[in-house]
Amino acid sequence: MSSYSQTRRPWAILAGVPLLFGAIGLLQSRIDAHTRTGSEERDELLLRSDMLVKKLSLGYDPLLADIYWTRAVQYYGARVGIPGTNFDLLWPLLDITTTLDPKLLVAYRFGSIFLSEPDLAGAGRTDLAIELVKRGIAANPDEWRLDGDLGFLYYWRLKDYPHAAAAYLEASKNPQAPPMMKMMAARIAAKGGSLETSRLIWSELYESTKDPTIRQNARKQLKGLKAQEDETNLDAVCDQYRQRFGRYPSTTREMRDAGLLNGIPVDPDGYPYVIGADGKSNLDPRSTVVITPLPKTPPETN
Amino acid sequence: MSAMPAVVAINTFREAVRDRVLYNLVFFALMMIGAAILVGEISIGIERLVIINLGLSAISIFGLVMAVFIGVGLVYKEIEKRTLYSLLSKPVRRWEFLVGKYWGLLLTLAVNTSLMTVGLAAALYYVGRPFVRADASILVAVYFIVLELALVTALALFFSCFSTPMLSTLFTLGIYVTGIFSSDIREFGNLTHDPWLKTATQILYYLIPNFHNFNAIAAAGHGERIPAWLIGQNTLYALLYVTLLLVASSAVFSRSNLK
Repeated sequence: MSSYSQTRRPWAILAGVPLLFGAIGLLQSRIDAHTRTGSEERDELLLRSDMLVKKLSLGYDPLLADIYWTRAVQYYGARVGIPGTNFDLLWPLLDITTTLDPKLLVAYRFGSIFLSEPDLAGAGRTDLAIELVKRGIAANPDEWRLDGDLGFLYYWRLKDYPHAAAAYLEASKNPQAPPMMKMMAARIAAKGGSLETSRLIWSELYESTKDPTIRQNARKQLKGLKAQEDETNLDAVCDQYRQRFGRYPSTTREMRDAGLLNGIPVDPDGYPYVIGADGKSNLDPRSTVVITPLPKTPPETN
Repeated sequence: MSAMPAVVAINTFREAVRDRVLYNLVFFALMMIGAAILVGEISIGIERLVIINLGLSAISIFGLVMAVFIGVGLVYKEIEKRTLYSLLSKPVRRWEFLVGKYWGLLLTLAVNTSLMTVGLAAALYYVGRPFVRADASILVAVYFIVLELALVTALALFFSCFSTPMLSTLFTLGIYVTGIFSSDIREFGNLTHDPWLKTATQILYYLIPNFHNFNAIAAAGHGERIPAWLIGQNTLYALLYVTLLLVASSAVFSRSNLK
């Protein structure tokens, strides 16, 4: 073989290898397009038995728990906010994760939120979320945050105030728990649902989480609570206006001009509130703020 | 005491280095770098935990693969290359050769594990958390892995004294997996109403090395303190088992016909 062809060979390999890899990549994408190797297959969970997965992990269960937890987060993240989607595999994934590593606190804390969020934001399964957190408390009795999470689920999702107060009280018994836990237990026991308590709970969640989805939701809820508080105050001012002028105001500007307001109040999105014919304040239709109403009376609990 | 086992051990270590056994460290380093960079993107609040679990699991798996696959060939390779005959013609007793080989591989594994631990510490430092006192449990977990590897190496060496590398690998891995499930075997016996089966599973439970004892990865990940008594008992357990296996290996090897 000539020396010329020998010197050219490395360059031919250097050029040929990327070309071959490119061809392989192209071919694989064609195969993917014709077969169901895409999203449907990713929805499958080969092993649903938590104990079987633990046994098969051959002692590497902590690492496998991390993998399953990451999978649960990705599963949730890929579905949140998408209409027509379901969260069927969320519970099995969390079940396996917490069986593999019963001390993986994030799986209980964030997993319960993923499970309990209603509508498109989660599985809407508060019952499973409560089961998950109770399992976490059993495995980690010294973690007051889990009792706080249980209190949150009872308070916000179920409006079950006696159980919520009991959970916060349980959390407050831990010497490391902040005084707020005891305060919330007392407040919920005395008043049931209130804006102030709801704000305290969501603020605590907002401050304690690093997850952007949960943080964003907490911020949204805090905005809704702020708007709800503004509306309650505005409704009272509307009544005052009616007592003075014999009719309800049609705008907040009228209330300001009458000297009942110092300025024009705006919702957390910056839009002025709209006053209805019944004298009740509402959000501007352009506003993205969402108000989740609190029930006036606590439901009966067993 | 004869210095011969130490001479054989050092030469075994040198041979392992020459055979590029420690090259697995490059793969480990790349994996830890990749994990340290990616872990923050795909996990919430458990970056440190993932790094610890991944690092310790990798140290254990890499070590196990080395212990089994090099361990089963320690004696066989010397016979196949006929270097054993020239070695045994010198004033080296068979048991000295065997013990030297064992310590040589254990030294290789210990060096390998130590370097991987440094890599794990670097990855932990990268994900941004200063080391705290609770991180001492990571070192204890690494020590337990070394004890586990010492036991697996002794098992591999024992089987290699009377079997082919292929069969020795199967036997060693079989005992290892059974050792992980030993508590399940005992539970199975407790569930049966047959007293003989119950006794048999009890005997099996105490006979097979309990590798579950050496698993402290979860505790290290969660920063739990590992009690001193457990460290002492695990050390003694591994020491007794390794002694037993080395004595048995020496007995078999001394009587085997090497022709």
